[in-house]
Amino acid sequence: MNPPVSVTTRRLHSPVFPVSMLVLVLLPLLLLPLAAVFIFAFRGGAVAFLAALKAPDAQFALRFSIVMAFATAAVNAVIGTFAAYVLSKYSFRGKRPLNIVVNLPVAIPTVVVGTSLLLLWGPIGLLGRLLEPLGLQPMFTPAGVLLAHLFVTFPYMLGAVKPLLDELETTYEEAAYTIGASRWQTFWHVILPALRGGIFSGTLLTFAHSLGEFGATVMVSGNLRLRTQTAPLYIFAQFEAGNIAGANAVAAVLAVLSFVIFFFLLRYAVRPTRAS
Amino acid sequence: MSIVLANVTKRYGSQTVVKNVSLEIGEGGLFVLLGASGSGKSTVLRMIAGLTTCDEGRILIKGRDVTHLAPQPRGTGLVFQNYSIFRHMTVAENIEFGLKIRKVASVQRAKRRDELLELVGLTGYGDRYPHQISGGQQQRVALARALAYEPSVLLLDEPLGALDVKIRAQLRRSLKEIQRRLRVTTLLVTHDQEEAYELADRIGVMDRGTLLEVGVPEELYHRPRTLYVASFLGGGTVLAGRVANGLAHFGPLSLPIPAEVPHEEGASAELLFRPEHVILSSDPPASNGPVLGKGRVVEQTFSGAARRLRLHLPHLPSTRQVSPAVAFGEQGIVIETSIPASAPAPADEPWVSLRNWAILGQAPPRLLVIDTGSGPLTSLHTASALAGPMRASVIVLGYARGDAPEDFRDTVAHRAQSAELNEAEVHIGTSDLPIQIATESANTLFDFIILSGNPGAAKAGLKPDVVSFLEGADTPVIVVAAEAPKRFERILICTRAGEPGKNDIRIGGRLARHLGAQVTLLHIQQPELGEQPLARRHLEMASATLSGLEVQNTIRTYPDPSPAEAILREAAKHDLIVVGGHGPEVQSLFSRDDITLQVLMRVPCPVLVVPAE
Repeated sequence: MNPPVSVTTRRLHSPVFPVSMLVLVLLPLLLLPLAAVFIFAFRGGAVAFLAALKAPDAQFALRFSIVMAFATAAVNAVIGTFAAYVLSKYSFRGKRPLNIVVNLPVAIPTVVVGTSLLLLWGPIGLLGRLLEPLGLQPMFTPAGVLLAHLFVTFPYMLGAVKPLLDELETTYEEAAYTIGASRWQTFWHVILPALRGGIFSGTLLTFAHSLGEFGATVMVSGNLRLRTQTAPLYIFAQFEAGNIAGANAVAAVLAVLSFVIFFFLLRYAVRPTRAS
Repeated sequence: MSIVLANVTKRYGSQTVVKNVSLEIGEGGLFVLLGASGSGKSTVLRMIAGLTTCDEGRILIKGRDVTHLAPQPRGTGLVFQNYSIFRHMTVAENIEFGLKIRKVASVQRAKRRDELLELVGLTGYGDRYPHQISGGQQQRVALARALAYEPSVLLLDEPLGALDVKIRAQLRRSLKEIQRRLRVTTLLVTHDQEEAYELADRIGVMDRGTLLEVGVPEELYHRPRTLYVASFLGGGTVLAGRVANGLAHFGPLSLPIPAEVPHEEGASAELLFRPEHVILSSDPPASNGPVLGKGRVVEQTFSGAARRLRLHLPHLPSTRQVSPAVAFGEQGIVIETSIPASAPAPADEPWVSLRNWAILGQAPPRLLVIDTGSGPLTSLHTASALAGPMRASVIVLGYARGDAPEDFRDTVAHRAQSAELNEAEVHIGTSDLPIQIATESANTLFDFIILSGNPGAAKAGLKPDVVSFLEGADTPVIVVAAEAPKRFERILICTRAGEPGKNDIRIGGRLARHLGAQVTLLHIQQPELGEQPLARRHLEMASATLSGLEVQNTIRTYPDPSPAEAILREAAKHDLIVVGGHGPEVQSLFSRDDITLQVLMRVPCPVLVVPAE
């Protein structure tokens, strides 16, 4: 039972018009393209869809992408948390520039990232030239793809964890120290649990971005099928080859995976500190 | 002794936040460190816990030197204002944390945890998470967590500061009860004097990094030594007067000076009386207790159990009000008092006498330095050279007649800094110099005023406003010339032909004592007057007075027809010349052939002009 005043207010500010305007704008921008993927993927029926997925190249690309995403998320969870800890808890000369550098990957075009990795590790690169005679060649191998993904997704972990550390008052650490906990025990028992939510959402974000990474991967992987071809590269290659159904099947799987990740992000990681 | 601090100092950059603090806290006691925010009290606590290193001094906990130890082995129990209990652990896990770190078996851990939950009144709350309990309960958990591993000492940093009034009172009582029961040595830091009174066995009051006083609550309330402690620990009236003949004089009152608070002759003295120590009566009081005079009630406030009154008394001669502050443009004395609300209302113009009072300890000398914001820093350097050995507090008055430039305060502050007057207060004034100095003097009783005779040059031709100020000055004034001595080792006191001014000797002697300087008493014998037995006797008395102040002194008699020339000749061997000035009553005595003026104009070193009695 609403009091009459609020009824009039609601009538005056009816949400119908602005909401329908927003949906109209979003329809061609976001909603229809996503729908198109699924429509095309299933146009030939479920059987054709499954057959397209069963192709060995498609199977490899999906598995490779998921393995890469896990590896990237795991490595960056450790390095990113460590970076966040150092940048939040210590004050030192050059902290500001370092802060900018670690967030730079967000701003650099991924193709440029791929190029720079090639110029460092590639056969004619600065370091690659020295490694080549030793038989070490990270480019055009899964290791190269991992390097590219770590680079591109680095800021996501940092962005999710550092604000939590900045907010965590030093008195928590200090209380642990006076109680007798060593630096490591304090980190393990006091700081890390307080970061759980941030690490969770940072890991999910990293995973999702790694799964969809294209620009840098295409440069450093060489796009070698059954060796370094990730799912997005497979989709692109199939499209170019005219196998639209094959491309769409993998694209639909990627889209669903992304939906699931985002569901978890929204569900559990929005207010990480409140989750008990 | 459970906690001993010996000469502990902490600096952050150029700022000293804890200055040479020494403190001993006995076994099982509850010591409250009281101070305003920024007084350094929390830094002291953090240094004991080991969370902040100290730059100088030593810290002992239970006889063990922990100065350079990390926080962990110190075994202190610390409770913060923001509770800081771990949010992802249950109440029980929080309490057990210290025991878990110490690898205590889980059975014993559970037993200890239950004891502590009971102690802090949270039995049954073990499984809750911090966000499921109230702030007061969280602070109880923090206390239990700090007590769980039987800490060497308990340190509480404003533990009740974040709680609302009712919970605060409750927790204060349980804190006291728990502390009494466990007899754990406790240091509590707070800015709340009521909390300090209720909890403390002993209180220490800190101000700007210095531990001013330590004592039991009642002693500090009734007999504080310093003005800061007097006003921080309760209301009341503080008047400033002067010491003469062993008594402190405040208008009509001449009060004996207690042996615990020795005062030098001629020094300023401060009288404190608390609101409840004032007696109001409609007839002149018959008792021979101290009577201040007849006052007038100007304000009454009802505050429950008591009625607070504000009275005005007429101006008392050579007495200044220190607190409460007198409204601008008003003369006279303001007194705050309170009477029980049930008592009959007082007469409109009651007699005011004192039931009880205290004389504060002799305050460090106060210097006022005038700086014009340009030219050489001689007056500032002189103040710096004096303030160090005298341990004086300094106010720098940046003085620009008419309009001061926008950054004038910064300029003056910067100049004071470069003369090493780092702790000086900087005030700014733009009206006439004598008026400006009078305004400053109305707020603070200065021991010396330091100004430059004529900035930028020798003093030849004193500035007219300096002369007019000197004519009316009732405070000793040091007039600085082109050069400022680094140290004051030899002081020349010039005595008058007839009678040496007693004030010249007292004030010059006090200064010499503070500076550890030698004094030469100069007597100029005018040949045409012949031998003067009276003058000789006065000189001997002066010398005895100086010896009484433990000042080394010699008498020098100079036969010379021209006193000024003689003084000038002697001046070269001294760092400071003391001459008598003219009292405020006799105006325009600085004629051209006046000795004081001639000395002022021609002597290259600073000259102290002592006003006549």
